[in-house]
Amino acid sequence: MKSISRHAPAAGGVAWLTWGALLLLVLAAPAPRLSAQTTVDAPESPLFTTFNPPAFDFNDAFYTANGINVTQLDTPGAARFGFFRQTGPPAPPGFVNWVVDNTGTDPDRKNVRILATTGGYIDDGTGAPTQFISILAFLLDQTFFTGVANARGVQMADIVNNFEAYAALRQVDSHGVFAPTPCGTMGDGTTPCFPVTSVATPALRQDWRFATNRNAIDGSAPFGYFCDDILGMWIITYFWYVDTGFGPHQTAQCHQMLAALGGKNGLTLDGSPIIKTADELNFLEGSVVGSNPIPGFLGTNPPSPPCTAEGKEDMGGADHGAVWLICPALPDPRNGAITLDAFLDQVHRPNGLPLDPAFTANFLCLQIFGAFCSELTPAQRQSISQQVAVTR
Amino acid sequence: MPSSREERVSRRKFVKLAAAAAAAGPLLRFPGGAFAEQSRRKTLRIAKWAHFLPEYDRWFAGVLAKQWGERHDTEVIVDHIPVEEVGARAAAEAAAHHGHDLFMFPWPPAEYRQHVIDHTEIYQAVSFGHGNVDRLGHKSTFDPGTKRYFAFADSWMPAPLCYFEDWWAEVGMPLGPLHYGSLRSGGQRLRAKLGIPCGLALAPSLESNVTLHTLLMAFHAGVLDEQGNVVINTGARTVAALKYVKALYEDAGSPEQLGWGPGGNVQAMLARKSSCTINAISLLRAAEAADPAVAKKIRICPPLAGSAGVMAVPHVTSCSVVWKFAENPAGAKQFLTELIDSSKAIYEQSQGCNFPIYQKTVPDLIVRLENDPHGDPPYKYKELKDALHWTANLGFPGFANPVAMEAFNTFVVPRMFLRVVKGEASPEDAARAAAAEVTRIAEKWKQA
Repeated sequence: MKSISRHAPAAGGVAWLTWGALLLLVLAAPAPRLSAQTTVDAPESPLFTTFNPPAFDFNDAFYTANGINVTQLDTPGAARFGFFRQTGPPAPPGFVNWVVDNTGTDPDRKNVRILATTGGYIDDGTGAPTQFISILAFLLDQTFFTGVANARGVQMADIVNNFEAYAALRQVDSHGVFAPTPCGTMGDGTTPCFPVTSVATPALRQDWRFATNRNAIDGSAPFGYFCDDILGMWIITYFWYVDTGFGPHQTAQCHQMLAALGGKNGLTLDGSPIIKTADELNFLEGSVVGSNPIPGFLGTNPPSPPCTAEGKEDMGGADHGAVWLICPALPDPRNGAITLDAFLDQVHRPNGLPLDPAFTANFLCLQIFGAFCSELTPAQRQSISQQVAVTR
Repeated sequence: MPSSREERVSRRKFVKLAAAAAAAGPLLRFPGGAFAEQSRRKTLRIAKWAHFLPEYDRWFAGVLAKQWGERHDTEVIVDHIPVEEVGARAAAEAAAHHGHDLFMFPWPPAEYRQHVIDHTEIYQAVSFGHGNVDRLGHKSTFDPGTKRYFAFADSWMPAPLCYFEDWWAEVGMPLGPLHYGSLRSGGQRLRAKLGIPCGLALAPSLESNVTLHTLLMAFHAGVLDEQGNVVINTGARTVAALKYVKALYEDAGSPEQLGWGPGGNVQAMLARKSSCTINAISLLRAAEAADPAVAKKIRICPPLAGSAGVMAVPHVTSCSVVWKFAENPAGAKQFLTELIDSSKAIYEQSQGCNFPIYQKTVPDLIVRLENDPHGDPPYKYKELKDALHWTANLGFPGFANPVAMEAFNTFVVPRMFLRVVKGEASPEDAARAAAAEVTRIAEKWKQA
């Protein structure tokens, strides 16, 4: 890991925790406000050693060397951080998603530091809320790839095809109508259908899942995410509940399974169960996954007809949504990778509370103490718990 | 002492003896004189699946086998069997307990395990020079029940997606469809715009078997599970795959697909009558030889991604068996052992179609793929660099066992898809019928 020299924390803001004067000092450095925006150095916590760099955008030469068409990347459709989306979701009103920061030393990055930090479940079977990424840009079709292979002779499109980011779009509209199929090429052409043109957080029914664990060593993919997918790109896999799963024609089998899964994982904004792992999704799609991943459900065979489905958008851009994302996961979000001015981008309930407070807790633990909550002392954990309780 | 009269042979008896001698033909051995040397010369009879590139077979018989025979004072006779006849010929030999010494299959011949020797000693002999067999070879030829190898794997062929770059660029996909969703949506637009259908092989053949087993795998479905249980109709994934292929055919296919014989998908690509197909790169080699302009437009990419990821079965897993009834088993074993020494030549003579099972025999494989002498552009084949990663054995997630291979060779999967595509059965009924068929096969092998 490269170390990044940083200056003193920027002043001003809202204190989040009440855990002594030291903690207050740390917490006095939240996301930069819009009015103060010029260049902002990453504020550093005095509570832990900082050696992991925060997220910066890649520079154009690095994108080009890895087969990405920078001209396309700099268009409004791609909405690349550094050019677009400085304000607006996911940043709260008055705050920004990225800042110019000249302290970075990585020769492959530019001086745009990302504050919007999106949480996601890890795809290793545990469904732990430990993944944090920065959504730098959206790729809408294959014109975003130059077709030029990288230094190892591999097309980026071939690499990224192995790394899936699982997006759960809202299926219940503002009138409470459930749409069992996506609009566009992934759907069956029936209505109502749910739109697939945006994966912005307000369009999600639950938080993301990221397959950061895939690698060539265990054979889960020909490539490793952190060693081969060096732009941190993903192909988006959309997954949804079908009519027989959550709609008017829900089968008794799906009803039973969803009730069990909802009891285990909680419910999405639509009222359907949160899906955290590949086995849960694959099983509900009707795949044999070895053992039933849904506790409490009697039986080992997957449902037929299925309860869920998945798909990927048309690579020619026919669906007008994001096919791929450039959003590198933080290899190690501890010890400085999540700066004091970063903020968590996660799914919130209509009342503003987080859908899954576990993300909130981990984010705060990393931000304040530089470690996951499970690694903290009891006193540290208690302080975070108090803060998370405030957000509930 | 017999009388001269007794020594005399009647005309009738002479005719009988002459006829018998003529029928026995080369099997007769004549002692002494000019025939002495010939009598000591051994014979090795090889039945080999006919390669998709005829020039490879000419080299195999005329150079590789011939030179091996000269080194071992053996007359090597190589019979090339068309792929579609391999099953019938092997079954006939196994039933008659007579035939060739060595039989080379383009797939794992697990059904013949009781008719063949244990090939472990061949793997052991090869390991001294080339290391252990890789995952693909092991899972294609090992019987975990008996702990024996029922065959010996020497090479294999990846099955990438082949597509016309110029046509797919017309629908915004110059890199190809990359996943099954885009194969359908892009293929639909492509047919509507240019009138060119998508050309996956569907009618029963090796090509459709490979294509549809690959597709099933990508859809998180399969014929058997890791323990060998029949799961083709467990859950909903096979039905989902069937619905997908039916929709693909209706949106982007062509009626000709349903009537293709062996290699029909290749012929359609060579004639620029389909936009893509799944096949070994022999398709490209044939195009390079016949029409370089067409070949230039054909690109390859790794298998399409499905809900189970990027996976495919091999187009060919070259697996050889030495029959128990072989007349020259020692020669057959020796031939296989030394065959691996020629892996590099096999790769070169097959024009890159036959990947080695023993990686070290072609250590610069990736360099070769990056700069192919016939490829235009020369780096076209580098898409196969990770082929071993995305290729799983027939029988995956388990081993290539008799049930999986009998189901493969009786085209259970292609017939299941074809019934749905033709509208002869619903996806649910077709999956149910296929499951019943595989279950019958499994029951038969339980009793075997």
